[in-house]
Amino acid sequence: MRGLYRIYRNNPALFFVYIILCAFFVFATFASPQFRTVYNVFNLLRQAVAFGIVGIGQTVAILSGGIDLSVGSLISLVACLTSGIMIGNPTLVIPIVLFVLSIGILVGLTNGTLVAYLRVPPFIATLAMSAILQGSVLLYTKKPVGGVTRGFMFFANGQLGPVPFAFVFWVGLLALFLFLLRKTGLGLHIYAVGGNEEIARLSGIPVRRVKLAVYTLSGFLAALTGVFLASRLGIGDPLVGQGFELESITAVLIGGTSLAGGRGGIEGTIAGVLIIALVNNILNLLNVSGFWQWVVKGIVVIGVVAVYKEKE
Amino acid sequence: MSEMLRMVNISKHFPGVKALDRVTFSVNRGEVHALVGENGAGKSTLMKILAGALQPDEGEIFLEGERVSIPNPQSAWAKGISIIYQELNLLPDLNVVQNIFLGREPRGRLGTLKYSAMVKEAESLLERVGIRVPLQALVRSLSVAEQQQVEIAKALSLNAKILVMDEPTASLSETEVERLFAIIRDLKGKGVTVIYISHRLDEVFRIADRVTVLKDGRCVGTYPIGELDREKLVRLMVGRSFSETFPPKAQETGPVILEVRNLTVPGVLKNVTFCVRAGEIVGFFGLVGSGRTDLAKALFGLYPHYSGEILVKGKRVNVVSPQKAVAEGIGFVPEDRKSEGLCLGLSVRDNCLMAVLDDVRSLMFLDRRKETAIVQRLVTDLRIKTPHFYQRVRNLSGGNQQKVVLAKWLATQPDFLIFDEPTRGIDVGAKAEIYHLMRDLARQGKGILMISSELPEILGMSDRIYVMHEGAIVKEFGQGEPVDEERVMYFAAGLHVGRWKA
Repeated sequence: MRGLYRIYRNNPALFFVYIILCAFFVFATFASPQFRTVYNVFNLLRQAVAFGIVGIGQTVAILSGGIDLSVGSLISLVACLTSGIMIGNPTLVIPIVLFVLSIGILVGLTNGTLVAYLRVPPFIATLAMSAILQGSVLLYTKKPVGGVTRGFMFFANGQLGPVPFAFVFWVGLLALFLFLLRKTGLGLHIYAVGGNEEIARLSGIPVRRVKLAVYTLSGFLAALTGVFLASRLGIGDPLVGQGFELESITAVLIGGTSLAGGRGGIEGTIAGVLIIALVNNILNLLNVSGFWQWVVKGIVVIGVVAVYKEKE
Repeated sequence: MSEMLRMVNISKHFPGVKALDRVTFSVNRGEVHALVGENGAGKSTLMKILAGALQPDEGEIFLEGERVSIPNPQSAWAKGISIIYQELNLLPDLNVVQNIFLGREPRGRLGTLKYSAMVKEAESLLERVGIRVPLQALVRSLSVAEQQQVEIAKALSLNAKILVMDEPTASLSETEVERLFAIIRDLKGKGVTVIYISHRLDEVFRIADRVTVLKDGRCVGTYPIGELDREKLVRLMVGRSFSETFPPKAQETGPVILEVRNLTVPGVLKNVTFCVRAGEIVGFFGLVGSGRTDLAKALFGLYPHYSGEILVKGKRVNVVSPQKAVAEGIGFVPEDRKSEGLCLGLSVRDNCLMAVLDDVRSLMFLDRRKETAIVQRLVTDLRIKTPHFYQRVRNLSGGNQQKVVLAKWLATQPDFLIFDEPTRGIDVGAKAEIYHLMRDLARQGKGILMISSELPEILGMSDRIYVMHEGAIVKEFGQGEPVDEERVMYFAAGLHVGRWKA
């Protein structure tokens, strides 16, 4: 009990969001017998992975005081390129994955250069990038394209015993980025830049390089999400990434990261991602229209953020 | 004692102001050197130049006899110069250790932080200063005094040889001040040179070895503390001749327009009681932190949870919001016109009409002819120099911007106007014009409350003067009562309380 209190005192917002997650979970367990199956829970986790990966990048961007609106289009582009070039050829899998991941990095570097060196506000730079990328992918294909190999589909759909491989992959990625943010100089500097850019600059932190790194990471993770979705669906859909930018921001905000930057972290985003996945899953099981999911998510965001503000 | 620092013939201009005029300033190794002067005397500017945050227009800096240039803050640190500003430069969402080493964290391979090494060094630093703060606590959760101590530790981690403190006691309690002084004496014992900026003269006498007085951007002189007493120091700080020309004062005044009884805002204002009559200009003087601006804000509805009474023309009113204040006929020309007085990106016309949009409306729509008539009248009356009404306010001079703020309030036809620092940052000619406009308004029967940190302005403009100190009115100088700068400063500095100890 005392341990719980200490966690609460150190970070009330984080404590609160995990309470909500538990509450949703308990509610779901009572509301639907199907929910209680191991199969469903793992399925839910598998669904969470796509948002989970891009959400990590979005968290990093928002922590630095920025935002990345280009992730949705980038995901679509990467998914289409992956399956569009592969067309069932197993020897191409590794070169293609390396190729599309470097596209993600390149897009991120471009965003970062615009924001850090040309001083374009992040909202505008990444919004414009989003338009460019979405246009490009629709020029490339207007309908779902190509196909992936069976082996490649293991990434998103494979199992390690009862556990989805994708979930294990996500957990590994989370651990990596938790380490990056909490234990490395770059991580600390991301918080510092988001907290107060001027103080960071006067403390000798290379603010522009930090921003460049942030958007590069976000671009890389969005590309990884695109690869994941190509693997999951087996085909590249030019609109598959639509909505991921806002959904990932939603998860970050539910997780208690401040839109102003410098405050919050991956720990909260995990809960945010899981809450969204839970809401989607349980409403599906209860046969509620998909549109209600939007309404519920909106209410959750408003509620949670209002409570955070109150706590401050 | 050897000379540690010498700044020679330092000059610095800002648009319209000569902030420093060939100031020479010398500090000995291991002394506590106080830098005093009125608001705007140039203390902070001089120290910002030393810290590399500003560049001088001319002049030279010698450190331990060697000529140096200090192009940026990092370069100042490298030379052992650290400055602790009044607004502390810490990141509230990082912890104490992270803040102390920010930007200079010891790192291992792969860029990982050597956190335990940081903790160990932070511990020994804090111990060296005799400071106890929880290392893992977020800076947000610390008191101002503790945050200041963290800044001192940070300065020491940079091997500071010269530590500048800008008004360090402004928001500390009595015991916290004692603690700070103990730390300063200890630093001095360890050979650190401390430059101490303060307007609290009693503290200067307690902690300083020598004092340098600045006035109007010039150096008055440097004195060993033993050669001074408080009266002499005040005289050095304020003694000057009147250079501005002020309009003649009120001949007669009308009935009371605004009466305030026991106005209290916890932690900000204490039992403030005063009145303002029609036709008079009442001056409020106080140093930073005396509550002078808070008083204006309270009267304008920005502290809705006040206690006490505010009466406008004898009628008790509840001023709980600016809307309410405007409705009661109160106008407020704020201290910082750029952030609080104007929408810089909008036109002269829009700014003038900002507070009266409801009055120029017919049904739902704004009546452009009525609007134009109002703007025309204001621009002519106040002699606002603008090529046309659609000029963006951003492009006007400081004096004309201030007139637009005033125009905005005159459009509401107020009975009572509050001016907070009405002539800050505007040139001399425009100052005189603003003074005359204020006097004209008084003559038309409006009540005017003027807050200022410039003593000549207070003495030259006010029919009566109230002096504030630590949230309370400590002295009223009535109409015709003899008053001079030294007497006003004496009360504003709190010297009458007898807090001063030799």
